[in-house]
Amino acid sequence: MSIQSKLNRFKKHLVPEKNAASLPIDKPSHRVHVPQLKIWEDFQTTPYYFEEDYCLIREVAYPLDELWGKYRFSELYEVMERWQQMKVHHPLASEGLNPGDLLFFDTETTGLSGGSGNTIFLLGSSKIDNDEVKVKQYFLPQPGSEIALYHYFLTQVNELKNLVTYNGKSFDWPQVKTRHTLIRDYVPSLPAFGHYDLLHGARRLWKHVLPSVRLSIVEKEILGVFRENDVPGYLAPMLYFQFLNEGDPQLIQGVMKHNEWDVLSLITLYIHMSKIIQNDLPVTTAECFELARWLEALGETEMALTKYEEIIQHDSTESIRAKKAAAFLYKKMKKYDRALKLLEELCEPGLKDEGPWIELAKLYEHHKKDYEKALYYAKEGFSVWKSKKRLLKHKANREQREFEKRIERIEKKCRF
Amino acid sequence: MNGKKSMGELLDFLKKNTEINENIVYWKTIEEKQAKTIPFPADLHPAIVKALQQRGIDALYTHQLSAFKAANSGRSFVAVTPTASGKTLCYNLPVLQEIANNPGTRALYLFPTKALAHDQKAEINELIEAIGLDMKSYTYDGDTAANIRQVVRKAGNVVLTNPDMLHSAILPHHTKWVSLFENLKFVVIDELHTYRGVFGSHVANVIRRLKRICRFYGSDPLFICTSATIANPKELAEKLTGAKVELIDNNGAPSGKKHFLFYNPPVVNRPLNIRKSATLEARNLAKLFLQNKIQTIVFARSRVRVEILLTYLQELAKQEFGFKSIQGYRGGYLPKQRREIERGLRSGEVMGVVSTNALELGVDIGQLHACILTGYPGSIASSWQQAGRAGRRQDESVVIMVASSSPLDQYIIQHPEYFFNRSPESARINPDNLIILVDHLKCAAYELPFKKGESFDGVEIEEILEFLTDEQVLHHQGDQYFWMNDSFPAHNISLRSASQENVVIIDQTNIANVKVIGEMDRFSSLTLLHEEAIYLHQGVQYQVEKLDYEEKKAYVREVNVDYFTDANLAVSLKVLEVDQSTSFHSHERAFGEVTVNAMATIFKKIQFESHQNIGSGPIHLPEEELHTSATWISFNDPITNDFSTNELEQSLIGIANVLRHIAPLFVMCDKGDLHVVPQMKAVHSGKPTIFLYDRYPGGVGLSETVYKEWDTILHEAAALIERCPCESGCPSCTEMAAEGKDGKKKALYLLNSLRRNNDVYPIKAQSV
Repeated sequence: MSIQSKLNRFKKHLVPEKNAASLPIDKPSHRVHVPQLKIWEDFQTTPYYFEEDYCLIREVAYPLDELWGKYRFSELYEVMERWQQMKVHHPLASEGLNPGDLLFFDTETTGLSGGSGNTIFLLGSSKIDNDEVKVKQYFLPQPGSEIALYHYFLTQVNELKNLVTYNGKSFDWPQVKTRHTLIRDYVPSLPAFGHYDLLHGARRLWKHVLPSVRLSIVEKEILGVFRENDVPGYLAPMLYFQFLNEGDPQLIQGVMKHNEWDVLSLITLYIHMSKIIQNDLPVTTAECFELARWLEALGETEMALTKYEEIIQHDSTESIRAKKAAAFLYKKMKKYDRALKLLEELCEPGLKDEGPWIELAKLYEHHKKDYEKALYYAKEGFSVWKSKKRLLKHKANREQREFEKRIERIEKKCRF
Repeated sequence: MNGKKSMGELLDFLKKNTEINENIVYWKTIEEKQAKTIPFPADLHPAIVKALQQRGIDALYTHQLSAFKAANSGRSFVAVTPTASGKTLCYNLPVLQEIANNPGTRALYLFPTKALAHDQKAEINELIEAIGLDMKSYTYDGDTAANIRQVVRKAGNVVLTNPDMLHSAILPHHTKWVSLFENLKFVVIDELHTYRGVFGSHVANVIRRLKRICRFYGSDPLFICTSATIANPKELAEKLTGAKVELIDNNGAPSGKKHFLFYNPPVVNRPLNIRKSATLEARNLAKLFLQNKIQTIVFARSRVRVEILLTYLQELAKQEFGFKSIQGYRGGYLPKQRREIERGLRSGEVMGVVSTNALELGVDIGQLHACILTGYPGSIASSWQQAGRAGRRQDESVVIMVASSSPLDQYIIQHPEYFFNRSPESARINPDNLIILVDHLKCAAYELPFKKGESFDGVEIEEILEFLTDEQVLHHQGDQYFWMNDSFPAHNISLRSASQENVVIIDQTNIANVKVIGEMDRFSSLTLLHEEAIYLHQGVQYQVEKLDYEEKKAYVREVNVDYFTDANLAVSLKVLEVDQSTSFHSHERAFGEVTVNAMATIFKKIQFESHQNIGSGPIHLPEEELHTSATWISFNDPITNDFSTNELEQSLIGIANVLRHIAPLFVMCDKGDLHVVPQMKAVHSGKPTIFLYDRYPGGVGLSETVYKEWDTILHEAAALIERCPCESGCPSCTEMAAEGKDGKKKALYLLNSLRRNNDVYPIKAQSV
């Protein structure tokens, strides 16, 4: 029995690889013949030749005043201008840079797992260049042409200091590094890179309001970008496999279009998120609250407090959480009076949270030395605590002991 | 009893107590052995010399020096070392020497289990600390934290891991390990003998992939292997690593005096030749040692046995030492549980252990004085490894092998000369098993594209690459084959078990705290985790409430019953192709490919003490299909004419029963790896036939070996039946006590007619 017919019999025992399109063998690429060159050229795509090989480069330009979602690309100038003026420590701040320094970047790959068998077949970028937005895409026409692809990519973008990506920190960039390692003897070395990953901020701001923070969802729900005839990202690997099989450029053009839109939306997203942080945009109280927390986490206490106070002024569902957070910050900054005021506002009969009561008890005991009040709040807090249901017994026991100790201690202080 | 007996006194007691002594059919004393040492070689790095001296080592054993010299002059080797002979220095010495002279050097250590890697890390780090140079060693496994992983990749001189991690986490991500692969000088494979059968065949392919990656980064590491005693360490090492390997077997370590006792439980029913249960006898012997505070290990062959023995002994221990002092140890336990047991043994907190062969591996559990084997472990090599658990240091120790009624056990116990004189078995692997090979070619293609004409460490693979291209997994462009699929092949391929996915066992006794307590391969789950099965775990009984076969989950609940369950598997078998055959007048022997369909049918409930059948029920699980290789014997008319249908059927079953036990002895495999099926009318020929097939899809060469060894195996099978003292078949031979009187004679007659000296000549032998 031939090995092939044996294998066909064993098929059931072999692990099936799912979801691949059909991939017959194509002919060895003789010299540098680019199949379907005309169709490619009609799609703004030209070959780049390297030694015996080639890759395909697509370039599209958009005018600066083009509206992409809620904003025109030109607004990038304004937000970057504001970053120069603001003295704020923020991961998205691009002070010292010109708009043309940012490279918005996204890749399309043959799989989702980050291993050495996952190939990047499209590197897409957009940037501002000579009063235009230039989208430039580097396409791998066949898996063996990576040297041509990266040779061109790395000589073109001699500097990758200011990449703007969406999840590029943990996916796109490591994947570029992997591919580069495999051919590092034949191509220029990878330049040092800096990174603005917008996914982190998107998660902070919209995790609770969106079903998912995938770029396509953020686009639609937040940025007002609506795509027509978009090829969903998850189809990209299969379409690429099919393109390798059939050689028809139109199979993959939808994916390239998708990638083009992705890198354009990154510009809009960067503008939008910058404006939120720069306080230049009406935001929902939910966004405002998340932003305040983000600033607080970054150590921008003053800015965070401004946001919290904003929320507190407009009595909303977020104001209780904002008061708690602000009170905590004020206490940290030793502004006890403001902290007390906020906490006392919180401690209304309906509040089902013992936290503010305890905080008040602490403040009165340790800072105001008003033990009567301290005792009152400690006892109130204890009864709120008692009225709640608890799941974990050992935690409940510990909390109960703490209450009892506190009350006992304050009572002692009252007596002296 | 007042006061504890010492080992010497206990041995005396065993000799003098007639009730026990009459069951001891053989008593061998293995004398102590003096150490053979040689001074440190002159070129050994002074810091290492100092470190060794600090730890009280002033010279090397002969085998350690040979290992050092071989590695130093760039030769791969395999060192055969019994337990506690200082085998770790065989690899640590040359590796640390190279790192001391050349700090960029990197080495990869492979251990069959995570636990072993952790043990060895502790050991090598102690040595490194004493050396005082800047050397780093880390374990790399599923438990390694993400931030540590970075460090291990970039800076670990020695990376200790297991083949599974190499397969699924290191090789597919080799671009993150550039500095390891560029500077890799040594690959250490500890416990080489465990890499046999399906597992070994997988690992051999992982090594082929490793070598391919090393070539890509320009390194060409040496292979250093250590192995317990097997017949073919050099052959196995060469097959596993694809490298030329030197054998080092001049063991110079000392060993203490050891008593090896064969214990045959008394016959309780003479006509049926039924003996007292080995499990109960082992329990009594273990009790004797444990009562005298002698740390004892009891080996049992199956998980169920382990659990039964554990239940018995824990019951005993409850009154005397407290519950924790007797522990179970087997494959199904989760790693954390196992490590706790290992610690308890070392500290002496655990007095006794009941184990399956999981503890054959060199996990350091310190010194045990007594070792009881419940039944013959199935191979001579395994027996010696299990026996090695007693008296690792230089004390007097005792090993007792308690025979069960199985034909093989009775054969061994009545022929101690066979056991003590025969060289241990060979470990076989078949890296070229097509299924396994294809699995790893996928992984290899994922790691790096294949060039046309490239071989896989010498194996021609073009046809397979073409097949994978047709299957739309690879893309052929120019002279290269590229991985072109969105999956991650290594995640779909498990090195350990035949079926790719394990069934997890979920305890839902406490609804608020549902937890996973173990796992089992899918094929075993058919008969052990069907609904209503009693599953034993750490001596606790669970009843299976639901087996979700699709999702691979078994839901169990704690129960307390006085029975265990035993399931039947109905097997049908079809010959697809005959590769080789030999014809005789009386019969035909053949080797080829078959399809096996197996289905669990019913289960029985068996009461603990009486072993009575107290109920049964149906099992509703899907049929499993298996394509594999098989060998078979078909009987020709003239000799079967004398048999009635019933007689013939009983004879076939009887012979199959004997073969089931004897054949694994000659191919060194577990009984479960080689299945035996008798058929009255084989589908392909219509003749009475006995099949033996490999349990693993595609076969791993077991049945092929049987085909080559038929003469010996048939001879031994006949001899076993002949020598059995029973009248008309018993569990120790043809197992037909209930049926006709002549059963045993008929089976023997049939068997004898097959043996070549009774036949004239083979009429025709052909290879297809």
